[in-house]
Amino acid sequence: MQLSRPSIRPSRIALHAVMILLVVWSVTPFIWTAQTSIKFTRDVASKTPVLWGYETTANAYRNFWLDSDDLNMWGVLAFILVVAAVATALGLIGRRARHGWPWFLGATAVICVALWRFPRIWEANDEYDFLVNSVVVTILTMCISLSIGLLAGYGLARYTGISGAVILIVALGFRALPRTAFVLPYFFGAKEIDDWLTSTGVGSWNFPLIDFPGIDTLQILDTRLAIVLALVAVNQPFTIWMLRSFFIEVPKEMEEAAMMDGATRLQAFRKVIIPIMWPAIIATGLFTMLLAYNEYLFVRVLAPTEWTLPVAIVSLTGGESSRTITEAAAASVSITLPIVIVIILFQKHLVRGLGAGAVKG
Amino acid sequence: MNRRTFWWFTIPSVIVMLALMVFPLITTVWLGFQKLLLRDLNNPEWVGWDNYRDVLSDPEFWAALRFTLVFVVVTVPVSMVFGLAVALLLDRVGRGRAIYMAALLLPFIVTPVVGTLIYEDLFERGGLISWLWEVFTDDAFAVSASNVKVLIVVQYIWYVMPFAMITFFAGLQTLPEERVEAAALDGAGFWRNLWHVTLPHLRLLVVFVGLISVMDAYRVYDSVFVWTGNRFTEAHTLAVYNVRIATAFDIGRLGKGNAIAVLTVIGIFVVLIPFLWRSYRDQIAERT
Repeated sequence: MQLSRPSIRPSRIALHAVMILLVVWSVTPFIWTAQTSIKFTRDVASKTPVLWGYETTANAYRNFWLDSDDLNMWGVLAFILVVAAVATALGLIGRRARHGWPWFLGATAVICVALWRFPRIWEANDEYDFLVNSVVVTILTMCISLSIGLLAGYGLARYTGISGAVILIVALGFRALPRTAFVLPYFFGAKEIDDWLTSTGVGSWNFPLIDFPGIDTLQILDTRLAIVLALVAVNQPFTIWMLRSFFIEVPKEMEEAAMMDGATRLQAFRKVIIPIMWPAIIATGLFTMLLAYNEYLFVRVLAPTEWTLPVAIVSLTGGESSRTITEAAAASVSITLPIVIVIILFQKHLVRGLGAGAVKG
Repeated sequence: MNRRTFWWFTIPSVIVMLALMVFPLITTVWLGFQKLLLRDLNNPEWVGWDNYRDVLSDPEFWAALRFTLVFVVVTVPVSMVFGLAVALLLDRVGRGRAIYMAALLLPFIVTPVVGTLIYEDLFERGGLISWLWEVFTDDAFAVSASNVKVLIVVQYIWYVMPFAMITFFAGLQTLPEERVEAAALDGAGFWRNLWHVTLPHLRLLVVFVGLISVMDAYRVYDSVFVWTGNRFTEAHTLAVYNVRIATAFDIGRLGKGNAIAVLTVIGIFVVLIPFLWRSYRDQIAERT
């Protein structure tokens, strides 16, 4: 649409004015909440909103995340900033480097170590466990979902038989189903398995090889595993459709050449196709991440105590709870910031992913 | 690729979908015929069509269905037209496009329950909108049973518009320039250009966004749950009503909940089957 781009100034100013209005419509709630989270309660409670010139404080964040009441939050902020800076630096190097994955792995490791050390440096509340749950569930869901999705997406892109078309259409149908059709049988099934584990005594067996620290009974309900399995399943249709649309773009000659040289199909897939699929993997991974990080219903029903952050925030700040508005705002900002940073870093991949997935799908 | 290799590649995904989607769906249908209470899960009792009779004679079910349909009929077209308009504007922005896009995407990527909580804050006592309302009308604003449905719809459009926007925007980037130039040479104005060049190019995307939007609006849970909770049960959509019936503390009726789930699934498939059938024909025609 290059030709219709306005060249005279007034219409350009009008365009930007409209865009700014749209941005205001989008981000006002975020700015309002961010403001609330750093105000004192007296400013929040005043009848006419105090829009500027108020005193700022990190009390709300401290109350929500930490145990101690008189801790200097600058130290915590410095810790988070250093971790973020190191992880971002590693990530940026990874994007420039020819083999990016060791750097991305390094960035992930830095974040994991930081998460592990954090409650040992400062005394963290229970809410911290929910953050850890969120991170674990998100990462596991991404890994499992992408691994099996990549294989299936590739198979579906290359196979021309009728069963491929049937799988795709059935998956599309599953994409349409409401969560409620799955969450109730999941709950019932997990309950049945747990009952069986308890009644036969299998649940309290001591498995020498899989003796995880902190787990003494084997169960399904109320574990992170249950949430991950549920999320992988409901995300599968979307994942295979999206990855398939990317694989179709890759010319067949690429792996055929490798197979002429004696590679098997799987080797060709791993050595030739996967390395050029990184944009697709990142785009699909981003959507999987959003889905897992944002999930509410599954966690609420399948994990009565092993919450992730969305459930924690609704349960701890909504309605009857005694938490203040500023703490709810601080919690909202804390859960939103990581996702916003990731999306801003990978915005291009997200847009391209939607374009490719949609145009072809 | 031969059949054997295809199955080796696809089997993990197919197993996951069989075990965690097909099998649970069958369980749902079976549970829909059972009398099953949340506090006594070990004694399902076959009651035939009782649950369905119970659901269909429940006025709350019809209220939920009605609101869900209104919700879909209002939010889908509005968010699509709004999204297309914003995408067209965004396409004309030269400098600063990335910043606008990041800001406009924000409502869509934020956790839905959190997005709803912070949107709600604007309307609570001491919130920005509720204060503005008071300044202009001298009346105190409160979220109530009479306005909560409107707020749910407005907030959902705020949340979902970026999806249509970003997809249409991606589509606009692939619009061949020659076609726009040719139309401009013919002296086509903005509207004729939109109708004869842009929209035909986006045709597939419009169907895609429309389908996804209908699916997602029909099963909306998170935002409606946060707006209403147990306060405004009359503004519940099917999914919220369903979960409330099935998991209400101490009185959850899992059997009835599953019957509602089955009816919900039937509802979406009535709409979808023609599209699924057409995609199937397309897939068959496409393979070479």
